[in-house]
Amino acid sequence: MRRLLRDPVATLGLLLVLFAVVVAAFAPWLAPYPEDAFESHLLQRLQPPSREFLFGTDYLGRDIFSRVILGTRNALAVAVSVVVASMLIGVPMGLVAGWRDNWVSDVLMRITDIFLAVPQLILALALGQLMSPGLTTAMAALSLTYWPFFTRTVYAETRRLRGALFVDALAGLGASPSRILLLHVLPNAAPAILVRATIGMGFTILTAAILGFLGVGAAPPSPDWGLAVAEARQHLPESWWFATFPGLAILLLVLGFNLLGDGLRDVADPRLRRSRR
Amino acid sequence: MSDMLADSPEAAPSLLSVRDLAVHIRTDGGLARILDGVSFDLPPGGTLGIVGESGCGKSTLLRAILGILPKGARVPQGQVLFQGQDILRAPVRGRIGFIPQDPYLSLNPVFRAGDQLLEGMRRHASGSRDEHRRKLVSLFQAVQLPEPENALDKYPHQFSGGQRQRLLIAAALACDPDLVVADEPTTALDVTTQLEILALLRGLTAERGMGLLFVTHDFGVLSAVCEDVAVLYAGRVADWGPTGNVLADPRHPYTRMLLACHPDRATDLVGIPGTVPAATAQPPGCRFHPRCPIARPVCSQAVPEPLRIFDGSRVACPFHADPLPEVALG
Amino acid sequence: MAELIAARDLVVELGAERGLLKRRAGVRAVDGVSLSVAAGETFGVVGESGCGKTTLARTLLGLQRESGGEIRLEGALVSGASPAQARRQRAAVQYVHQDPGAALDPWWRVGATLAEGLRIQGTTDRAEATVRIAEILRAVGLDPALGDRYPHELSGGQQRRIGLARILLLRPKLVILDEPTAGLDLSVQAAVLRLLRDLRDRFGLTYLFISHDLSVVRRVCDQVAVMYLGRIVEQAPTAELFAQPRHPYTRALLAAAPRLGAQASVPGLRGDPPSLRAIPSGCRFHPRCPLADAICAAEEPTKQSVAAGHDVCCHHWRDAA
Repeated sequence: MRRLLRDPVATLGLLLVLFAVVVAAFAPWLAPYPEDAFESHLLQRLQPPSREFLFGTDYLGRDIFSRVILGTRNALAVAVSVVVASMLIGVPMGLVAGWRDNWVSDVLMRITDIFLAVPQLILALALGQLMSPGLTTAMAALSLTYWPFFTRTVYAETRRLRGALFVDALAGLGASPSRILLLHVLPNAAPAILVRATIGMGFTILTAAILGFLGVGAAPPSPDWGLAVAEARQHLPESWWFATFPGLAILLLVLGFNLLGDGLRDVADPRLRRSRR
Repeated sequence: MSDMLADSPEAAPSLLSVRDLAVHIRTDGGLARILDGVSFDLPPGGTLGIVGESGCGKSTLLRAILGILPKGARVPQGQVLFQGQDILRAPVRGRIGFIPQDPYLSLNPVFRAGDQLLEGMRRHASGSRDEHRRKLVSLFQAVQLPEPENALDKYPHQFSGGQRQRLLIAAALACDPDLVVADEPTTALDVTTQLEILALLRGLTAERGMGLLFVTHDFGVLSAVCEDVAVLYAGRVADWGPTGNVLADPRHPYTRMLLACHPDRATDLVGIPGTVPAATAQPPGCRFHPRCPIARPVCSQAVPEPLRIFDGSRVACPFHADPLPEVALG
Repeated sequence: MAELIAARDLVVELGAERGLLKRRAGVRAVDGVSLSVAAGETFGVVGESGCGKTTLARTLLGLQRESGGEIRLEGALVSGASPAQARRQRAAVQYVHQDPGAALDPWWRVGATLAEGLRIQGTTDRAEATVRIAEILRAVGLDPALGDRYPHELSGGQQRRIGLARILLLRPKLVILDEPTAGLDLSVQAAVLRLLRDLRDRFGLTYLFISHDLSVVRRVCDQVAVMYLGRIVEQAPTAELFAQPRHPYTRALLAAAPRLGAQASVPGLRGDPPSLRAIPSGCRFHPRCPLADAICAAEEPTKQSVAAGHDVCCHHWRDAA
């Protein structure tokens, strides 16, 4: 942790992410017009930024500042649920595939490869057609396409750790595979999983925004950043603030997660770990 | 320490002469005095073994001689004279050959062995590439590498561990150095291969009149290769003298106790109580005194000067004639 | 002395793969090894890298499944089981790794690692575990407070002691020591060897001592078996083996070992040990052997008795006297 803070870029990422988390947690209290999540005020539509409306108002007269703040919650919720769901599928598969050395491993990894080859947006669009388009559909599509990244990461880590002497020693003591995998391999693979999850958060927020933009994500009137950018399209370039501020929010949060992920990767680098010893 | 050098009997100019060398490295835990007042000489064509346990400063000494001290290392005092020239100030290139410890790690696997060796020669030796090639092939013959003509075009993985070590010996000799420095060159090898490599190394350097500085932790290997030995403890020379004498009649309490640990020698396995002090927390006075069974109050106050004894050896202990208690020797 | 563990005609194949699409034949890392270790003795196995000594150890332990032959532990047949089952049957056999530091999970405090061994073996009572761990840490010469440290906070010698403590907690009868002194400084090595001897006496252990360091083997072992390319070529009581080696390989090995104060002058063996993928015909040692003749290339030598307890596999052992 201390070494992470020594890296200014990663610290910036951490600050951005922490800021977003705080904003999301206190969104209803921070937003000047929390009721603007759903209410429209057509009389004050498309007003430029002012003291009253810091980021201006949108085409329904809602305060964009409030909606960006309220949207943070949405974005983080989507990111967290997608990443957690992907981990729930991907991590156990990676552990098993990495540990076994027979056809089970082959089959699991080929399935992973197939899912890795599915284009994310197209699957989401297709799912949106099959089911009703909405946030749940988008999240399902994202989870379905993101878990293979966790499988690959965990698979590689498990393979590496399987050859480690301490795993061999445990097998020598008569430890069961589940004990070795859950109590020893998993904690040792945790840094890699954490890095992957952090980068996955940024990636998911971005993709969720794209889905919202394409109309298969969050449905109006919920305060979604991607959706807001889509709605703002018709009012460009006159009402520049309408698209700019939600877009900027996406940019900053994605950037934050990516910088943090890169920083974590450097800290979790096994070569660095060894030098500390 | 100047008195010790003044009465040096072998007035012949040294090939390598380390004078009162200290190397300090600043670390998070404070100033590490890795080497502190190390002195020894290696005559032209001589062989000197540097022996000591981990943490004694062997590798830092080696790096100082090769001119590759790590960043942050400081040399507050002392000189390393190579043919009379202080190489700490003016590094020499190509005149000191180096044989690294691990043949597996020392060659880049994606390049042909020959290209890697020729690249080194291009930088440090005169002559054309063709001359260098001929030279290497003849050296490959000398180190008894199979198919010396084709060896240049092979990749490192096509050689066995013993062959790779032969390759690296050839590489070290390629620029006709006056001094060859070897860092535990046989630890990665099997016993039967080790002996051959050692004999080869000794033979080739003797034949060409090269000096050999041999760093090891293995007294057995030492006695097979080196005429002289310097025993290092915690960054200082404890004993320095002819190998046979030091092994047969060690003087410094540390050397005596260390040799008593050798399975060939020990009557009972004892070990040395305590551990080697951290380089950042060296005890005052004699650095061995906290572990020494015959330490006296003065040992914790004054740094012992190396004393010359009758056979030309030097020992850094004023009480070297005192008997050690039985239990310490096992 | 009673026999503790014995192997007969043990064969171990390594690297045989059965994937979904590929099949690959393995190499015979251990090929027809028979040995018998008596309770209370220290049985040395020496040989160069790749001779199969570690594979032999892992097979006796049960981590590696044998492809042929049988293993008896205290008279009971224990071979032929899957690795998981074999480990349960052979709880009396334990293994200490060459690098005990790397054998400890870096994320676990060493105390937790020690306790885990007990839990695996079914000791669930926390208070009992704490008492036993403290007791065993003292037995290996460590302060019980070290249990709170992480592996990388310990010195090499301390890690080795932890490795031993971890095994001794399980009250084994046979401890397999894989290169227990590799990479140790002389003074630490002496202390570790002494500790091993004290523990053997105190806990009534039997050691299978794998090493390439002949000086150490000579010092601590009662019996020595010399392995070459998956076979035991000579086996004898230590004093006899070092005084009267009969197999040319043993002789070369002894001659090549650097000894204190002795100038080794005997020429080494020709060439490097061949790979297990290309085992020579007849006697496996014949391409490097100074005594080899036509019969050696054609016929595999059988085990012959030189003296009581001294066996050798060589056509010409009489010439080597």
